[in-house]
Order: sequence, then structure tokens, then C-alpha cells
Amino acid sequence: MDRVLSVLLDVVTSTLVLALVSLGLAVVFGLVRVINMGHGAMLALGAYVAWTCVNRGIPFPVAVLVATVAVGIVGLVFEVLVIRHFYEQPFETLLISWGFYLVVTELIKLVWGTDLRSLPNPLPGTLSVGGAGIGNYVAVISLISAALLTATALVLYRTDLGVKVRAMIQNRDMALMLGVNAPRMYRSVFAVGAALAGLAGALIAPMFSIEPDMGTLWLVRSFFAVIVGGLGAIVGGTLVGSGLIGGATVVFALFSKQVFAQTVVFALAVIALRFRPVGILGRR
Amino acid sequence: MDTEVGTRPDGQEARPTRAGRLRALLSAENVIAVVLFVALFYVPYFLVGFPVYVLPQYMLFGVLALTLCLLWGFGGMVSFGQAAFFAIGAYALGVTLRDVGGPTAPWLGLLLALGLGVVLAAVIGWFLFSADVRDSYFVLVTLALSTITQVLANSESQLTGGFNGMFVERVTLPFGVVDVSLAGDLAAYYVIFAFTLLCYLLFRYIQWSAFGRVLVSIRENEDRSRALGYNTALYKTVAFAVSGGVAAVAGALYATDAGFVSPTLGGVLFSTSVVVWVAIGGRHYFIGALIGGIGISILSQTLNARIPEYWQLLLGLLFVVAVGFFRRGIVGTILELPGRMRSRRG
Repeated sequence: MDRVLSVLLDVVTSTLVLALVSLGLAVVFGLVRVINMGHGAMLALGAYVAWTCVNRGIPFPVAVLVATVAVGIVGLVFEVLVIRHFYEQPFETLLISWGFYLVVTELIKLVWGTDLRSLPNPLPGTLSVGGAGIGNYVAVISLISAALLTATALVLYRTDLGVKVRAMIQNRDMALMLGVNAPRMYRSVFAVGAALAGLAGALIAPMFSIEPDMGTLWLVRSFFAVIVGGLGAIVGGTLVGSGLIGGATVVFALFSKQVFAQTVVFALAVIALRFRPVGILGRR
Repeated sequence: MDTEVGTRPDGQEARPTRAGRLRALLSAENVIAVVLFVALFYVPYFLVGFPVYVLPQYMLFGVLALTLCLLWGFGGMVSFGQAAFFAIGAYALGVTLRDVGGPTAPWLGLLLALGLGVVLAAVIGWFLFSADVRDSYFVLVTLALSTITQVLANSESQLTGGFNGMFVERVTLPFGVVDVSLAGDLAAYYVIFAFTLLCYLLFRYIQWSAFGRVLVSIRENEDRSRALGYNTALYKTVAFAVSGGVAAVAGALYATDAGFVSPTLGGVLFSTSVVVWVAIGGRHYFIGALIGGIGISILSQTLNARIPEYWQLLLGLLFVVAVGFFRRGIVGTILELPGRMRSRRG
């Protein structure tokens, strides 16, 4: 029974951590239809900014905030300089944001070097949940992720801003005609997506080693989470997709090596994508 | 009635005159290609040592760029997974040499590389294209392909040597009566030169063939091509299979020439380097892709020694500029310069 509970906890926390990492991507993809390949570099940048802050003696929660704001600003600058000229060409934005990934990764190497770095766990120790153990920090991250998903849902479905944003998804031209300031909206959405990436990168930094290319695997995982979950279904889709990608990896890893589990899940995600391209919760 | 020029009654294009054919042969694209290959042919006459050792590897990178050019420039499909095929070919040869051995092992290895590349690409291609997976989603799937290849190459260490990579010897290819050993740098240079030339000619033939024209029509408007009765999924699958097969053979030759294969060869970063070469070189001309692959590799080699970080940074910026504002790429711009000047004057 304990074993079942511990696997269940693992599934839940993996899901929530992946959802946290994917949320920025989902927001940008779902709202302004940009496949932001730069997301991976933004995660890494967030982690490095947090690392620097902590090493300067700044408390970890403040470091996370600094990373969030800093990466948000980088995203804003990128939007203003480049991305805003290409909203009409989704495929070009994908390639250009990959260029952004390359540039930011190189800048990270220039500033911080290529050595592996790590952050000490800010909340060591484990928590016992009905006989199964779970790391304190992982538990907190999961709660933050759940809170962020809830907050996103509240903003989207309970506020004026949310109505405008959803109107923009549903019928862009009509929303424009009814007076939604689209350029400003797009800019804010992109910056918020970048800030979420910075936040996620800073938060996962103590759990993994920090390196310039750390975002690549997360990028692929979160893409699949977002797409399998469903285009446009930002909160629910991200949660369901993360559950399938993150949760399935945990379950498969019970029977095989971790890397093999990851591979099987990617293959399954490709199959899912082929038979249901709009995702599980998505609509055409 | 003029028998040489004019529209035929059945509406077919006019058969070109001899002068017209000559002019087509002397197009700027062909001139550049001839200059490039002649220059590559004479390199060992003037340079010795490192350039002769390293250029074949860059030529194979150029071939890898050609395979992406067929997909992207002609078929409109961007693959972030070409390095996966390259690495699969490299490992196929390496494993065959290690586990089979014997004088025919090199051929077996190359054949295995070709077979694996073609079959894998055909299966993946048909699986996706028959469901009309395209554009961004195709990129994501191929991105996953290279991620999976790198992860598997790292973890299946009994087969691939894992993280430490795998050493591959220089092979001797038996050609019936004569055996061609790639052990010497010069022999390896000319074998790979010949392979590169053959690949370039193959791709130009594909471009010229009916198949290539249908491929371009699919790039321009897939729905219309389908409405005209073409099985677009099949055409795209064949293009993907050809490009996967050639990439795998190039990878196998790379393995024996460089002597070493590591998992990063199949990874995302190398895969996207190929995209960068083709974008900067110019994706609408095979010669652009080839020059992009060879040229940027040479530049990377020389500049990495001097300004390693800044060069990669510059490359990233160039890529953004090429994709966003400068779509013809460098070679494409040069090739289209005369036409544009003419039209401006007119």
C-alpha cells in the first residue's frame, strides 16, 4: 500500500513540476500561437540568475523573484525587437525563437561558463504523507505549481483581462475590431510567458544540475505536454498533458530504466499527436 | 513554323535550343558548383596535413546540409532530426565493423546505414505525413527524434559505447579487383570527395526530375497539389526517406573518417546546426546548402580556436537574421542578384 501511495505521490509531483515548466510555453503557444523554442534557454537563464543571486547572499525566494523579472524583461526585449514582426508567420517565429535559444545559450556560456553548477536545496528534509516520503522542496514546488495553474485559470476565466484574452483566441479579427489592443496584449502575453519560464527555471534549479543546455530536454518534454494536452486549453491542457508525459514517465520507469521510460513516452506522444493533432482537450 | 523555339501544340514547354541549353548549363549556380568542386579537388595539391584530414568531414557535413535542403528548400519540411540519421549511420558502420568483421564488413556497414536511414525515415515519414502532420508539429517530432537518438546512444552503452563514444577504424572498401583503403588521409579525401560530388549530382537530378517539381509544388501549395491528384504524403515520405538514407551513409563515412562517434553527433544541437548552415547558405539552392555546410564548418574550426564564444553567438545572430530578414541566404542572394538588378533596370 505504501508503495502504491509513494508512486502516486511521485506521479502527482512529476506532473506538477512539468506543468510548472510548461506553463510559460502553454501561455505563449495558446494565446499568441508562437511556438517559443527560446523557452528552453529562458529556463536556463532563470536558473543561472537565481544561482548568482543566491551566491551573492540573497535569500532564495527573492532570487526566484529576481529571476522571474529578469527573464520577463529579456522576453519583452526579444518581443519588441524581433518577434512582433513575425506573428503572422508562425513557422518563422519557431525558427527565430530557436535562434534566440542559440544566442541566449551562448550568452550564458560567456557570462557563467560551461561548468556544471548546483544550488543547495533550500528546504532539506522529507515530509511523510501517510507513510510515503516526499522531499519538502518538491512538495513546495508542487504547491506553487498548483497555485500558479489556479491563478492562471482565475485570470483567464474570472477577470476582464481574461475575457479579452479569450476573445483574442476565439476570433482575433473580431476582438481587434471590438477594441482589444492586440499589440500590447501580445507583448504582455509574451513577456508573461518568459517570466513564467524564468520562474520555473529558478524553482527547478535546486533539483537538477545547472548547465547552459539544461533547457533542451525540458523543452521537448514541455512541448509534448502542451500539445498532447491540447492547444488553446491552457490550464487544463497543460495539466492533462503534464500528467500524461510526466506521470507516464514515472510509471514506465518502474519497469525499466529512466531514459528508456522517457523514450517510450516520447514515442507514445508522437503517436498521440498523429491520431489527435489538436490534443486531448483541444478543439479545432 | 519555327521548329526550334515556340510553344508546342500540346501546350508543353518549348524544347530549348542548343544555345538555350548551353546557357542553362552555364547558369551561375552551375558555375559556382564547378568552381567549388574543382577547388575541392585541387586542395590536396596545395595544402597538406590538417586541411586534408579535416575537409572530408566538412564535406560530409555539407552532404548532411544537402539532405536538409531537399526537405526544407524544396519540400517545405524543416527537420530538426537530420543529425539523428547521421548518427544512426555512424553507429551502424561502427557496430558492424566491431561485431561482424571480415573484408566485406565495410560494405555491410554502409548498406546497413543506408537501409536503416531509408527505412526509419520512410516509416516515420509515412506515419506522420499520411495524417497530415506538418510545419511546426513536424519540427517537434523530429526534435524528439534527435533527443531520443542522443539519449539512447548514451544509455545503450553495450551497443554504442555510451557516453564515452565509440572508436571506428578507417575501413578498406573492396571494389572487386582493387581494394580502396581509406587509411591514408589522401585516399579518404578523394573517396569522400567523390561521394560528395555524387550526392550533389543526385540531388540536382532530383531537383530536375518530375519528382522534384512535384515536391516544389507541394511546398508552394500542398492542398492544391493534392487536388491535382498527387499523393502528397507519398511524395513527402519518399523525399524524407531519400534524405534519411543519404544522411545515414554520410554519417557512416564520417565515422570511419573521423574515427570516433559520440552521442552528441545525434543530438539536438548538431541537428539544429544543420538547420543553421542551410539557412545561412541559402535553402533554395543545393549549392547554397553545400557551401553553407562546408563553409560554416571551416569558419567554426578556425574561429573556434580564436574567439570560440563570440563565433557561436555570431552564428546564432546570423541565423535569426537569415530566417527573419534574409531568406535567400548568402549563396541564394548572390545567385539571384543579376536577375534582381535586371528587373530593377527594366
